[in-house]
Amino acid sequence: MSTRRVVVTGLGMITSLGRGVERNWTGMLEGESGVRRIRRFDSTGMEVRIASEVYPLPHVPQDDDTDQVGLHARFAYIAGVDAWADSGLADGGADPDRVGVFLGSGKGVADLPMLTPALKAAHQPGDFDYGVYMKTLAETYALERRELECYYQSGTYVAAAVDARGPNWVCITACAAGNHALGEAFEAIVHGDADVILAGGAHSQIDHMSLAGYGTLGALSDRNDEPHRASRPFDRKRNGFVLGEGGGVLILEELEHAKARGADIRAELVGYGNTADAHRATDPHPEGICAERAMRQALSRARIDRSDVGYINAHGTSTAQNDSMETAAMKRIFGPKGEAPPVSSVKSMLGHLIAAAGAVEAIACVRALQEGVVPPTINYENEDPVCDLDYVPNTARDLKDLSYVMNNSFGFGGQNITTIFKKFE
Amino acid sequence: MSRRVVITGMGVVAPNGEDLDSFWSACKEGRSGIAEIQAFDCGSFSVSAAGEVPKYNARPYLPSPKQLKIMGNNIRFAVGASHMAMEHGGLLGADYDPERFGVTVGSGLVPTDVEELGDAIAHSLDDDGKFDVSRFGVEGQRRLYPLWLLKHLPNMVAAHVSIIHNAQGPNNTIVTACSASTQAIGEAYRVVERGQADLMLTGGADSRIDPLSIVAYSLLGALSQGDRAAEKLSRPFDRDRDGFVLGEGAAMFTIESEEHAKARGAEILAEIVGYGSSFDASGVTAPHAEGRGAAQAIARALDDAKMSPEDIDYISAHGTSTVLNDRMETLATKTIFGDHAKKVPMSSIKSMVGHLIAAAGALEAAVSVMAIRENVVPPTINLEEPDPDCDLDYVPNTAREHEVRAVLSNSFGFGGQNASLILKEYAG
Repeated sequence: MSTRRVVVTGLGMITSLGRGVERNWTGMLEGESGVRRIRRFDSTGMEVRIASEVYPLPHVPQDDDTDQVGLHARFAYIAGVDAWADSGLADGGADPDRVGVFLGSGKGVADLPMLTPALKAAHQPGDFDYGVYMKTLAETYALERRELECYYQSGTYVAAAVDARGPNWVCITACAAGNHALGEAFEAIVHGDADVILAGGAHSQIDHMSLAGYGTLGALSDRNDEPHRASRPFDRKRNGFVLGEGGGVLILEELEHAKARGADIRAELVGYGNTADAHRATDPHPEGICAERAMRQALSRARIDRSDVGYINAHGTSTAQNDSMETAAMKRIFGPKGEAPPVSSVKSMLGHLIAAAGAVEAIACVRALQEGVVPPTINYENEDPVCDLDYVPNTARDLKDLSYVMNNSFGFGGQNITTIFKKFE
Repeated sequence: MSRRVVITGMGVVAPNGEDLDSFWSACKEGRSGIAEIQAFDCGSFSVSAAGEVPKYNARPYLPSPKQLKIMGNNIRFAVGASHMAMEHGGLLGADYDPERFGVTVGSGLVPTDVEELGDAIAHSLDDDGKFDVSRFGVEGQRRLYPLWLLKHLPNMVAAHVSIIHNAQGPNNTIVTACSASTQAIGEAYRVVERGQADLMLTGGADSRIDPLSIVAYSLLGALSQGDRAAEKLSRPFDRDRDGFVLGEGAAMFTIESEEHAKARGAEILAEIVGYGSSFDASGVTAPHAEGRGAAQAIARALDDAKMSPEDIDYISAHGTSTVLNDRMETLATKTIFGDHAKKVPMSSIKSMVGHLIAAAGALEAAVSVMAIRENVVPPTINLEEPDPDCDLDYVPNTAREHEVRAVLSNSFGFGGQNASLILKEYAG
């Protein structure tokens, strides 16, 4: 039996730049930033008051029911149905039993305003009355807020929308999750568990608790006065990432299945690597030993040489640690500037979409292969001695003979994921 | 040619036993771990029982007590269960290749620690007592423990486990609620099968015994509201069942390629031979009435194992004790097993430990392996008067000696994500 090959036949995404792949791709090539002062709630007084928000929020059909749709599920739904339509599969062509959904997805940690009445009733200095807390919660908790289980909602909403009855799961390997879902979906199709998988990620963590949580960890940029300039991967003056939100879904399809229905094939997914730092819960390994190994694994899975890679879409978060670690890891494989391929981070424009980041970045990789042009790293102004590769500063660049591109995602907690896409010919 | 995958170690932290032996003994004796909640006083709230693992001490498994500060209960359970699984598998301190060793767990939402938040909230209220974001920013936020976010990221379970045991291979966290750990084990099985790792620590850990989860599940109508004794509340397939009881804990396994296990002379406990996953859409919290997706997951696992229903000797049921699930699951089993359905014992340990949500499938897989090892199937306790719609052999109330060579272990998620595993007696 020959090995099953996996191609990309549809794309859908929503970010702060808007809904739709073309809107986002054009924006990225023009170096447009989606980072602004937070509009969803009043952030006055908070240390971090900027984010890359989807604004206004798109309507989804579930809004007309009693469900309250979590933001991550909303973004997954939009990206999923758009990708499905883009693939032509909305008009038929796939057996629902052979269509799966693999997503990386996450959400905020706690809804403080919702908990406030109960917390207030139960809290006394040095004491907490759980009975009162539960009783008040039961009176004030709106049943339609199905917050408690809602990590999985993104996967179920997408599957329900397109009647996908195949394998279905949601993973949350932090910032690597979207790329991780792509890698696992690739393996599942190769294995024969499905012929088509809607794969990618959706996330929103733009809420008070997450801003406070990442803020106190020192992970976020507090460049509140210059939102557009806050996310600056690889720049010496970078000072943290900017929270973004949104979703990206790719239709991954077995090659013969795609050919048989005359699908428009955009690219092929050929490589996947997955490692863990096993270092510390709070920081990545400073030299990126295991990040490097994820890239090497992906090269080996793709059966290509490092010199075949024409562009790397970096994790590039704009934190001091990630960008130097990632640079060091890339250099050990690809060599110094001049030898290594161009690298850029679209987080400079979209912010960090956490579990969705790797998915929207994979879409940028696919578009780059199709068009022969790569998006820039904006806000790159000051060279950092520990970040000394070619980051495609500030202006998109034509790279006509791209045949392979690499997509890196590294999760908070040490999960490292690399995928490799190939131009389809 | 795909590789064979075997189980070589198991560790369990359960409400009715804090290690594998005491858990399995309790299951065979039909001993419940469900009791009145000790962690906090539920006052007059209608639900006050759960399958708790009270005051679990993970300190012996950690190099430093400092790490406990960033570990919620689910992480602590996973740390304990992982240590015991590694020990059971003869892997503690063993010379394995860290780059070929991964971790995949099912986990989920980590409940908000309200005591931790209380002070921050108290300083974030405006004059009318409403939550005020700007006050939170100025006053409330700094009353939080700086690293508190780390307790709330579901992937931290796998992160801590990988750090403690130096597992640098593939690392995944599945968050599909009630089917999360069955899917995690299934995914780990695939990773080893295709050769991306030789050894995996896999399973699940969860703890939802917190006020908000109890209130929210209760409002959804999912929890038992009965006024019986705590240990009588979880009664899968019984006519008077009225919902599940929350449980907490973890079960972890060391699984490896057959070749890897043999090369190091490990004792092989069982083989993983089939995995199937599916989705059925019919609203966010209700299962598909006829169990279409459940039946598909079972069929796919059988297909993956190249086995027929007649080859299955025991079914470790999802059996939550809700009216809807138990009826649906019975129907789905009949759909796939036909006439054979009534001949296969099918029990639910949720009757004894409650519903561990993201850890449930892992505990049930542990029971499946023990059933194969000892040729004993655990009972469904509290099954006094069967529901006429639930007319299979649920092993009521007493464990049974029964020859078990292959087990089907099922998990059906709240949102429609379903997963099934098939475990088999190892024959070289």
